[in-house]
Amino acid sequence: MLDPAVMMEYMPAFWDGFIVTAEVSILSIIGSFIIGLLIALLRISENKVCRFAALFYVDIFRNIPFLVLIFFAYYGLPEVGIYIDAFWTGCFTLSIAVAAYVAETIRAGIQNIDKGIIEAAKSFGFKRVQIYTKIILPIAITSSIRPLGSVFINLILTTSILSAITLGELTSASKIIASTTFRPFEVYMFLVIFYGVLTFALSAVIAGWHKYLNRYNEA
Amino acid sequence: MYGDQGFTIFDLQLWAEGLGITFGVFLSSSILGLIFGSIIGLIRYYNIIGIGRVLMLGSEFLKNSPVLVQLFLVYFGIPALFTIDLSPVEAAIITLSGNTAAFIAVIVISSIDAIDKKQLEAARSFALSEWQILRLIIYPQSLAFAMPMFVSLAINQLQVTSLVSVIGVVDLTRVGDIINQRTFEPFIVWPIIGVTYFVLAKLVERIGARLEQRFSVHQASSEI
Repeated sequence: MLDPAVMMEYMPAFWDGFIVTAEVSILSIIGSFIIGLLIALLRISENKVCRFAALFYVDIFRNIPFLVLIFFAYYGLPEVGIYIDAFWTGCFTLSIAVAAYVAETIRAGIQNIDKGIIEAAKSFGFKRVQIYTKIILPIAITSSIRPLGSVFINLILTTSILSAITLGELTSASKIIASTTFRPFEVYMFLVIFYGVLTFALSAVIAGWHKYLNRYNEA
Repeated sequence: MYGDQGFTIFDLQLWAEGLGITFGVFLSSSILGLIFGSIIGLIRYYNIIGIGRVLMLGSEFLKNSPVLVQLFLVYFGIPALFTIDLSPVEAAIITLSGNTAAFIAVIVISSIDAIDKKQLEAARSFALSEWQILRLIIYPQSLAFAMPMFVSLAINQLQVTSLVSVIGVVDLTRVGDIINQRTFEPFIVWPIIGVTYFVLAKLVERIGARLEQRFSVHQASSEI
């Protein structure tokens, strides 16, 4: 029968898994944001080759399953002489794959900027780089906090797939707990609710932050 | 037995079988998800016997937790709790249908909400029955509104099907894993599997664009 208390005893192991999930998530969020920003800038560049390369990048990583990418990295990297563990393989692959979604979100943010603002900046004598760093990117990023947040929440959920390459994160830890207790239903139910509550809380925080940063905008 | 066996003609057969399984799981879970998701959305919209909220809360958890964990819950959890047998393919189709349904329900509700309320009032004052309103006014317009969201959901769910390989369904990803373990040629195997998924996604996108165009005719009336 259903025994909801089964998880209590195994909280330390669960917590260890959570820490690994948190570490991978934070590193990959930073990584994917940096790569995504670069791809977004290439995507709106005036150079045709850059634009095409960025579009190709986005198209590839949005249409190939993450599991295939992670297997490719996990089995492929040692073949070319790069020996890194599951943790770093996970961080790199997540950063590269999620960057495609980040790039599209930031690009949408950039293209929504009122052209008048950019023209005003030009007429005030701002340099091209300054227009990007002081006007375009701050506006584009603050106005897309909420969509970026959902991309990153998806990233956190995707870290569960790293259990397939033996990384000891939340899902792996729960798998071990499930096979020791013979209570898979309770353990995975707990995990589903845990991820659910975590993402609800994070999206509430992000929504609040988004509202705060955009408090002077009418929309 | 392991290593450097080289590729054989049977690998091609295995690839084709994996492709068939991936496509089958995708198609059946999409259709089941569409049916159940629409039912959940309509129950919520008409608020039948107050279970709408409970169903939507369930949908939120399905949308906000990893599909891999949901697969484990269904494949390992349900047989353990209810002492029944579930094959990997059955567990895969149940999980993915449920997950798709959760997303579909939300799309259905938001596309019904997008319809101009005045139209519904007008229809009621013309004494149309609720069924007629649903069939003639809500259905065509909300479908036109929902189509782009359905297409991007389908492309996403196609990639999600790769996760069923983890519970032992011999889909495209599992085939890749099997061949990779035997040949140790990750730089040949995984790009081929990746390209197969890419082409499948493009195919879904192409079909979706055509459907979008066909259903968008219903949107013209709302713009006048």
